[in-house]
Amino acid sequence: MKKFFASLFLVLICGFATAQTQVTGVVVDTDSSEPINEVRVLIKGTTLGDLTDASGSFAISDPELPLGEQVLVVSKTGYITQQLPITIQSGQTVNIDRILMEIDLTEVEAQIGIISLSDNQLDDESSSAYNISGLLQASNDVFLNAAAFDFSATFFRPRGYDNANGKVLINGIEMNKQFNGRPQWSNWGGLNDAQRNREFTMGIKANEYQFGDLAGVNNIVMRASQYRQGGRVSYAMANRSYAGRVMGSYNSGVNQNGWAYSILLSRRFGDEGYIHGTLYDANSFFASVEKKINDNHSLNFSALYTPNRRGRSAPLTQEIRDLKGIRYNPNWGDLNGERRNSREREIEEPVIMLNHYWNIGENTTLNTNLAYQFGKIGNTRIDNGGTRLVEFNGQEAYLGGARNPNADYYQNLPSFFLQDASPTAQDFQNAFLARQSFVNGGQLDWVALYRANEISVANGGNAIYVLQEDRTDDTQFTANTILSTQLTENITLNGSLNYRNLKSENFAAVKDLLGANGYLDVDFFAGDDSNTDIGLRAQSDLRNPNRLAGLGDRYKYNYEINADVITGFAQAQFKYNKVDFFVGANIGSTSYQRTGLFENGNYPGASSFGDSEKVNFSTYGIKGGMTYKVTGRHLIDLNGAYFTNAPSIRNTFANARQNNIVSAGIEEVKIQTADLSYIYRSPIVKGRITGFYTQVQDGSDIGFFFTENQFGATSSAFTQEVTTGIDQRHLGVEMGVEAQLTPTIKVKAAASVGQYIFTNNPNVSYYSDDFIDPNTGLPSLEPFTIGDGTAKLKNYHVAGGPERAYQIGFEYRDPDFWWVGLTTNYFSNAYVDASTLRRTDAFTQDVDGLTFNDYDPEVARGLLQQEQLDDYFLVNVVGGKSWKIGDYFVGFFATINNVLDQEYITGGFEQSRLANYRDVLDDQNNTGGPVFGNRYFFGNGTTYYVNLYLRF
Amino acid sequence: MKIMNLYKLMAVLLFVAVGFSCVQDDEFDLPNTTVDIVEVEGNVITIDALRGIFEQAVADGDSEVTFTAEDNLVVEGYVVSSDEGGNWFEEIVIQDKAENPTTGVKVLVDVNPLFTRFEKGRKILVKLDGLTVAVTNGVLGLGLGGGDFIDKLPPSVLVGEGSDENLWRIFRTDEVATIVPRETTLAEISASGGDSALENVYIRISDVQFNRNDVLGENPLTFAAEPTDEFDGDRTLEGCEGGSIIVQTSTFADFKALLLPNGRGAIDGILSRDFFDDFFTMVINEPADIAFGDVSERCDPDFTACTGPSGGGSAFFSEDFEGIGSLADLVSAGWTNVNTVGGSTEWVLGTFSGNSYAQITAFSSGEDTIESWLVTPGIDMDGTTAEELMFDVQANFDNGTVLSVLFSTNFTGDPTTADWNLLDATIPVGPSSGFGTFEAVGPVNVSCLEGTVHFAFLYTGSESGASTRYHVDNVEVTGI
Repeated sequence: MKKFFASLFLVLICGFATAQTQVTGVVVDTDSSEPINEVRVLIKGTTLGDLTDASGSFAISDPELPLGEQVLVVSKTGYITQQLPITIQSGQTVNIDRILMEIDLTEVEAQIGIISLSDNQLDDESSSAYNISGLLQASNDVFLNAAAFDFSATFFRPRGYDNANGKVLINGIEMNKQFNGRPQWSNWGGLNDAQRNREFTMGIKANEYQFGDLAGVNNIVMRASQYRQGGRVSYAMANRSYAGRVMGSYNSGVNQNGWAYSILLSRRFGDEGYIHGTLYDANSFFASVEKKINDNHSLNFSALYTPNRRGRSAPLTQEIRDLKGIRYNPNWGDLNGERRNSREREIEEPVIMLNHYWNIGENTTLNTNLAYQFGKIGNTRIDNGGTRLVEFNGQEAYLGGARNPNADYYQNLPSFFLQDASPTAQDFQNAFLARQSFVNGGQLDWVALYRANEISVANGGNAIYVLQEDRTDDTQFTANTILSTQLTENITLNGSLNYRNLKSENFAAVKDLLGANGYLDVDFFAGDDSNTDIGLRAQSDLRNPNRLAGLGDRYKYNYEINADVITGFAQAQFKYNKVDFFVGANIGSTSYQRTGLFENGNYPGASSFGDSEKVNFSTYGIKGGMTYKVTGRHLIDLNGAYFTNAPSIRNTFANARQNNIVSAGIEEVKIQTADLSYIYRSPIVKGRITGFYTQVQDGSDIGFFFTENQFGATSSAFTQEVTTGIDQRHLGVEMGVEAQLTPTIKVKAAASVGQYIFTNNPNVSYYSDDFIDPNTGLPSLEPFTIGDGTAKLKNYHVAGGPERAYQIGFEYRDPDFWWVGLTTNYFSNAYVDASTLRRTDAFTQDVDGLTFNDYDPEVARGLLQQEQLDDYFLVNVVGGKSWKIGDYFVGFFATINNVLDQEYITGGFEQSRLANYRDVLDDQNNTGGPVFGNRYFFGNGTTYYVNLYLRF
Repeated sequence: MKIMNLYKLMAVLLFVAVGFSCVQDDEFDLPNTTVDIVEVEGNVITIDALRGIFEQAVADGDSEVTFTAEDNLVVEGYVVSSDEGGNWFEEIVIQDKAENPTTGVKVLVDVNPLFTRFEKGRKILVKLDGLTVAVTNGVLGLGLGGGDFIDKLPPSVLVGEGSDENLWRIFRTDEVATIVPRETTLAEISASGGDSALENVYIRISDVQFNRNDVLGENPLTFAAEPTDEFDGDRTLEGCEGGSIIVQTSTFADFKALLLPNGRGAIDGILSRDFFDDFFTMVINEPADIAFGDVSERCDPDFTACTGPSGGGSAFFSEDFEGIGSLADLVSAGWTNVNTVGGSTEWVLGTFSGNSYAQITAFSSGEDTIESWLVTPGIDMDGTTAEELMFDVQANFDNGTVLSVLFSTNFTGDPTTADWNLLDATIPVGPSSGFGTFEAVGPVNVSCLEGTVHFAFLYTGSESGASTRYHVDNVEVTGI
């Protein structure tokens, strides 16, 4: 244990080899003896310095290097800063072979706490999910710190990029899901203590593992040999998503035989978080074993298993919020004295991986990885379409089905009763009763569901309601190999080859029969508005008609997606005194294929059963960047890239649950981006300001919803909306600056001001089993387009968090190992997600295709105005203290977020249920407010988080 | 050191194990579903008594009765409707007894579905405090008063709904009885005039069939999935012993697209009235309420079907109803227009957009039995061969097919004394609300008819039954 406090082991070798005056050396970690990169090494009192590279090496050579007794300041966030006395003599090299850096407890603890906070948020799965993937790294960038620690409480997305634009790697293996491109954070949730080693590459800067994407690359190193020897236990309490978290870990360090192991166990739990009825039940296991075979070969095995189950909440309309408050969640109801949530998400996708590290000679490393991931993601909801089969003179009909039982169903709300232009006294009375009922109840009536099934069964029927679980069972194999070679002192080459194969099984399963014996597997809504034989169309699987689905059985839909992705990447990095620069390129191929396992009654034959067309996408990209070191204090950094990405699986198939149809007009996304930064760093002040510009072309999106809009002869439909050819522009400036006013007080400021807008009117196609092809009498296989086929989205804002965020804050760090910080954050210019359907010609068209005769462009402009959410302030306080007791370290870390209990909306969306001028206008003018108003995600009120830990 | 490490590892494991605390799991026991059996205070009365109170009020000149807390009345009854099949919507029909019922009442309540709590056979109690009884859409109903018609009760009246039990009005008992349909006949129903005590009662009518025009032929009809069906499909059910009634099925019914059964037998359902209280309807809960036998057992009148070659000729008799002032002009030209039961509903001349035709309807006639004949002049069939009859029919406000085409060879002016034979002419079905379009009927092969023949259009609608309005035009007989 004394090793921790061992004084610095420092060897000074003065060389006479060259006539150049310089200071060189290598920085390594005290515990692991591994080199540390990105360490700032500075001659005190000057601006002369360097950052260590991947091998931990630095070199300071400058004609203005001061001679004589100097102090070398070696610092990196997360480590205790070292101040080393050196003597610089003219024409000589001072080489400090090993500078040992020890992890700074206070920093690390702060970081741990913060990581926990962040992944609380990350677990949220709403469509505009948080994007702070890369930022969990306790980076020493002031802006990124602000974004990770304080802006993350809202939907703030750095530079407006989607989560899918940030790559998350574990041991060099990409973890982003092929389905939507986004990382599934739950798959390594609760492993915080095992994820402190992170390598973050901002934006499109050079990364040694892969080409990367707009929002950067975050590689989490989870190798047994990389963990500091010792153990840690901690207990956290909070009222955000979980109530408690207990975590224990132990790392062996590398022993004499070259073995190292690491283990972590944790559990997060809670009956509800800030939002009512959001249970949290998560266990996490991590184990890693590494054998250093010899100096050149290491083999590591890591396994992650983090099964977790969470109760979900729902976005609220203003009306609901006014009646029930921001903690309201319609998804739960009382059952046997407990709050049971009807919408739970369960994720269980263990990962195992094998990593081989090979030092091929002095300057070349080859890292080869194999990973296998399997398991399931399940989302439950109430299925209210249960029926029984009636045979009548050789014909079939399905009797039953029930209305949507959701507590916040629009017909349960007061506004529903006040839709008449002039409501009667009775309407007001009904609205009042609905209000009373909703205010005093407003939760799911589980008993009614069980009772309905009981009655149905007693009369010879089947389940009316069941708990449906939508499942995605992925099996993914990944292999890659990553080469890094230092050709000369100045030139490093990187390259990688990656292969990924995904087999994804998607189906619905009966999770709970709610007291019944089976569910008749037909689509109750099939052919609702047609007069054809619904007996066939209603079948989920024509090959197994009128099947009674029992507990755990697959029903409704059942298909596989096979995906193959191959990419190759090469990069050269050049480092010189005044300028560093790099160029990189990649090329790739992605293919998707759907295989229907059910033959859907609406889409008989090959249009739903068996293999779909194989959809292939080719991708490539080039990028480059340079850092110009004006002096040690002033740097200018410029990066640019042009690349293409394959669309996600989600967007590639128009309605994968029912058929093999490939989304019309789907193609590769083209991205061009550039950013320019000015970086200033002095011992007192450091800061960065970056301007960025990104143009995305041919993006795609898909939405599923029920709408009362008229599509040709179809008066309302459950539709799939495929938007392609989306162009959007992200333009803005971000900056962060901090000043160490005194050794204990630091002040900081950060800001991001951007504009993220659509720059064209993209194409929109609609698909639905309600659109009947008159030639076949069956649902059309071709998309339905409205008017000129576009949505007039140009200059609308891309929704997702505030476009502007500002922070000022300070930190006080007492020498006596306690610290406190306070930040004030201001957010503005957030917009709700605009309904695409309302921006098509459907908005202005009457049923005959001509413009409504009462259409008023001025009024229309008001209705289509994208709602800008209110600005808000959030004040956060954070603090901690640690003690050393014998060989043990004990400490706590606490935060209070939103101290002022500010109510705020983080995001929202327009509903597409009503889409045309008249309907939207009527709805807006309702006496009781809109029935289908915008839905919002509300931020938490005041919340706390406390973490107690013990380290040994 | 090794042992020390192991010790620490164990300590970590122990700490985490101790920290594991329980979150509810996702396994749940079945809840008690009988919690809403609530005792109801008040004087229980029968539906008959409720009807009595209402009728007393009508006699006093009121159109509705609204009950108060002081009345302290509770009416009891057995549920006979089921919205499981979607043929009822936000209504519970109850009758006074499970067996041998005498009367019923319809309770309007703004909740869907209802069968999941108020299933058929369930005995329920309805507390009348604040409720209004009145005739709604022709039948006795309970709801909210205050306007021209009674409104649906809000969801909060159902026991267990909302949190205010003072608002509860409709309660379940734990009795679920088997409902035995009350046997009745078409004659009994029509004899009641427009107001039968069996309204809202689950009845059985035996020995009936759907009209042959609806179920035989090339395009047999569904319950309610024809393009012409709006809100409801109205289908004529006719008794083998005479009489008819409309089977009315919602276009939202789950079984709307099933074909009507083409046999003959018994039907169970609830006796009701159409929306405008113009005629009786029979509403079934589900297709199993109809128990018909094979098509071969039908009791259709025999019609004459000629099998010889026909067609290819030219018209030697035609009437387009143009250029006349009234049908009386045709009568003087040899046509006959008579209602043989003596009512005032006869064929008249209609004109629309410059086109004239013969028109008839029982709507607003006040007559429940109509037999109106429009007979052509005698047509000599001896001079031609391969004859065919054709004409155009426009069916409007169609709530049942009540037009047939016959011929006679011994007609002398009085339809009742002649022998008539039915012709195989399929009468088109029109929209249930609004006007249809003229559709060509025929050509009907009449090549086997010889001598002097009279063709007749017989209308058998009724105010209380099917009152479909027909327009007939362009009557033609061709031959070679």
